Amino acid sequence: MKKKLISLLALSILAPSSLVGVAVANDLSHQEVVAEAATTYSESVKIQTKLKRWGYYTGAIDGIYGPKTKEAVRYFQRKNGLAVDGIVGPKTAAAMGITLSSGSSSSKVSSSDLNLLARCVYAEARGEPYTGQVAVAAVVLNRVKNSAFPNTISGVIYQPWAFTAVNDGQINLSPNSTAYKAAQDALNGWDPTYGCLYYYNPATATSSWIWSRQTVVTIGKHVFAL
Amino acid sequence: MEGRKTQFLKKEDKKRKNRVITALAVSAGVLALSTTVLAISYGVSESQAQGYKTELENVYNDNFYNLLESVNNLETKLAKTIHSSGTYQRKTLLEASKNASEAGISLSALPLSQNDVQDTVKLVNQISGYTSILAEKLAQGESLTGEEKSTLVNVHQSVLDLQNQLNEFARKLNKGYSIIDSSMNVDSGSNEFSTNLTSLKSTEIEYPTMIYDGPFSDSVVNVTVKGLKGKAVGQEDVLAKIEKLFPNLVRTDFEGETNGRFETYNFRLTNSDDEMLYLQVSKIGGHILTISGTGEEGDASIDESEAKDLALRFAKENGIQDGQVVWSDSIKGDVYFNIAPIQNGIILYPDLVKVKINMATGTIVGYDATSYFTNHTNRVLTKGSLTKSQAVGYLHSTFEIINSRWVLSPLDYNREVVCMEVEANGEDGKYYFFFNGETGELENVQKVIETDNGNLIM
Repeated sequence: MKKKLISLLALSILAPSSLVGVAVANDLSHQEVVAEAATTYSESVKIQTKLKRWGYYTGAIDGIYGPKTKEAVRYFQRKNGLAVDGIVGPKTAAAMGITLSSGSSSSKVSSSDLNLLARCVYAEARGEPYTGQVAVAAVVLNRVKNSAFPNTISGVIYQPWAFTAVNDGQINLSPNSTAYKAAQDALNGWDPTYGCLYYYNPATATSSWIWSRQTVVTIGKHVFAL
Repeated sequence: MEGRKTQFLKKEDKKRKNRVITALAVSAGVLALSTTVLAISYGVSESQAQGYKTELENVYNDNFYNLLESVNNLETKLAKTIHSSGTYQRKTLLEASKNASEAGISLSALPLSQNDVQDTVKLVNQISGYTSILAEKLAQGESLTGEEKSTLVNVHQSVLDLQNQLNEFARKLNKGYSIIDSSMNVDSGSNEFSTNLTSLKSTEIEYPTMIYDGPFSDSVVNVTVKGLKGKAVGQEDVLAKIEKLFPNLVRTDFEGETNGRFETYNFRLTNSDDEMLYLQVSKIGGHILTISGTGEEGDASIDESEAKDLALRFAKENGIQDGQVVWSDSIKGDVYFNIAPIQNGIILYPDLVKVKINMATGTIVGYDATSYFTNHTNRVLTKGSLTKSQAVGYLHSTFEIINSRWVLSPLDYNREVVCMEVEANGEDGKYYFFFNGETGELENVQKVIETDNGNLIM
C-alpha cells in the first residue's frame, strides 16, 4: 500500500515536470526559428543600439544587419564567452538583454477576453437558449462601451456585486463550446438586445430598482433592459 | 470451594471493572482528542477566514483611498485649468483626464450597488473624456469657448461635492468602519455600504451635461437609427417572408417583440434536422436584422467559395445590393463573412453586414445587419486626390504592400472619412493603414492579431 502510494506520488511529481520539459523544448525550438530571422529592421535596431552603447559597434543605427553589425556581434560574443557565429540567437539575445520578437509566423496568442467572456456566459446563462447566451455576452460588451461602467471586459465582469455568478464563484467553472461560440459572436458584434445594459430573471430578481429599467426584450428566462 | 469460587468471581468482576474503566478512559481520551482536533481546526479555519477577510478589507480600503486621492488631485487640476491658459492649461487638462480615469477604476472596484454607483462612475469617466478632448483642441492651437469654460466650472463644483462626500466617509473609515460587513447587508438592491457612502453628501451632487464627441460621450452610446426604411409590416407578412427564405422549416414559433433602438418581431425557427435559429425582423420594412444559432460540428459539406456565394446571395435577398466580402475568418467549423456595400467604387465600412455559415451543414447560422440599418444613408462620396504611390510612400520601406483600396472609414466618435486603405505585411505581422483621401494624413492604423480563436483587428 505504502509502495503504491509512493509510486503514485512519484508519478504525480514526475508528470508535471515532464510536461514542463516538453514545453521548454518547444519553446527552444521556437526561439531557434526566431533567431535565424533575427535580422528584421526593428530587431537589428535593438541590437545595434545595445552594441553601440557598449562600444562594440561604431556604425550607424540603420536597422540593416550588414557585415559591420555581424562583426560587432562576433566581437560581443567573443568578449562574453558565447559561441562566436555572428548570429543573435537566444543566448546572445539574453546576454544583450533584448527580447526577440516572434516574427510574422508567430505562434498564436490566446484570447483572454474571449475566455473570460465565455466563462461569464457559462456561469450566468448556461441553461438559456443560444441567443440568450449571446445576449448576456453582448450586455457585458455594452457595459464596456458605456461611461457608467468600467472600461474593460475584466473590469465589468469582476465589478463587485455586478454578476451573481461571479459573487458565488460559478465564474470559475469551465465553459462549454456553446458558451465560447456565444462569446465569439458577441465579440464579432452580434447584439440581439440592441445596446442593453442589464438583464434579470423576473422569477428570482430581488432588486426593486431593476424593475424600473426600460425592458427591451425577453429571451429565455432573462429580461434585457436599458 | 465456595470461597475459591467467590474469589474467582471477585477477580472476574475486578477484571470487567478494569476493562470498563479502560474502555471509558480510552473513549474519554478519544473524545478529548477529537474535541481538541475539532477545536484546533475550527480555530484554524476561523483565523483563516479572518485572515481572508482582513486581506479583502485592506484591498477595499486601498481602493477607497486611491479613489480619494484621485478625486483630490482631479479637484486641484480642474481648479488650475479654470484659472490658466495655453500650454499649462493643456497640461492640467491632460492630468485631470488621467486622475478622472483613475477615479473611475477605483470606484468600480468597490463593492457598491450598481444603482448607487453608476451616476458617479459616469461623471468621472465623462470628465476624463471631456478634458482629453479639450486638451486635444488646445494642442491644435484653438482655445476654450465661453461655454466650455462654464461647463468646466460646473464640473469642478460636482467634483468638490464628491470630494466632500468621500472625505466625510474617510473619517468614518478611520473609526473602524468595515466595508465588508456593511456591503454584506443588502436591502432591496442596495447594500449598506452604498447607502452609507451616498447618504453622506451634504449637498446633492449635480451631474453636469458635457456635450462633446469623444470617449464616454453620450453621443457615442445613443446611436440613432438612420437606415431603416419602408412601411410598417405585420407578423403575417414577416411569416410569409420567412417561409420563402427558409423553405425546409418544420416549425416557426413567435418569441415576442423587441422594443429598443430597433423594434422587431422575434421568431424561433426549427428545420427538418432539428436545428434552431433565432430571428429578429424589423417592424419597419420587415428586414431581417439578426439571426443567431450554433450549427453543428463535423466535416465540411461545402467549401469556402460556396460559403462565400451563399453569404453574398443571402445578403442580396435581404436588400444589400452591390455587397462585397471585405473580410472573412474561419473559427471552429464556422466561417464569418463581413460584407460591405460599394458606392462609386468606395467600400462602405460603417454599413457592414455579417454572415456566419456553418461548414458542416452548409447553412446560414448567423446574420447581423444592425450596422447596415443603423448607418446606411444616401451619402455624397468621391474618391480623394491621393494616389497609391503617395500613400505607400508614407510607409517604411520594409513593408510589403499587399493591396490598396478606397474605403469609407468609420473613425473615432461618429466621424466618417473617405480613406485609401493600404494592406501591408510588416516584419511583425499584417497591418491596415488608412490615409485621408484628400489630405494624405494617416487617420488610423489597424493591426491583425492572430489568436487561438481567429484573427483580431485592433
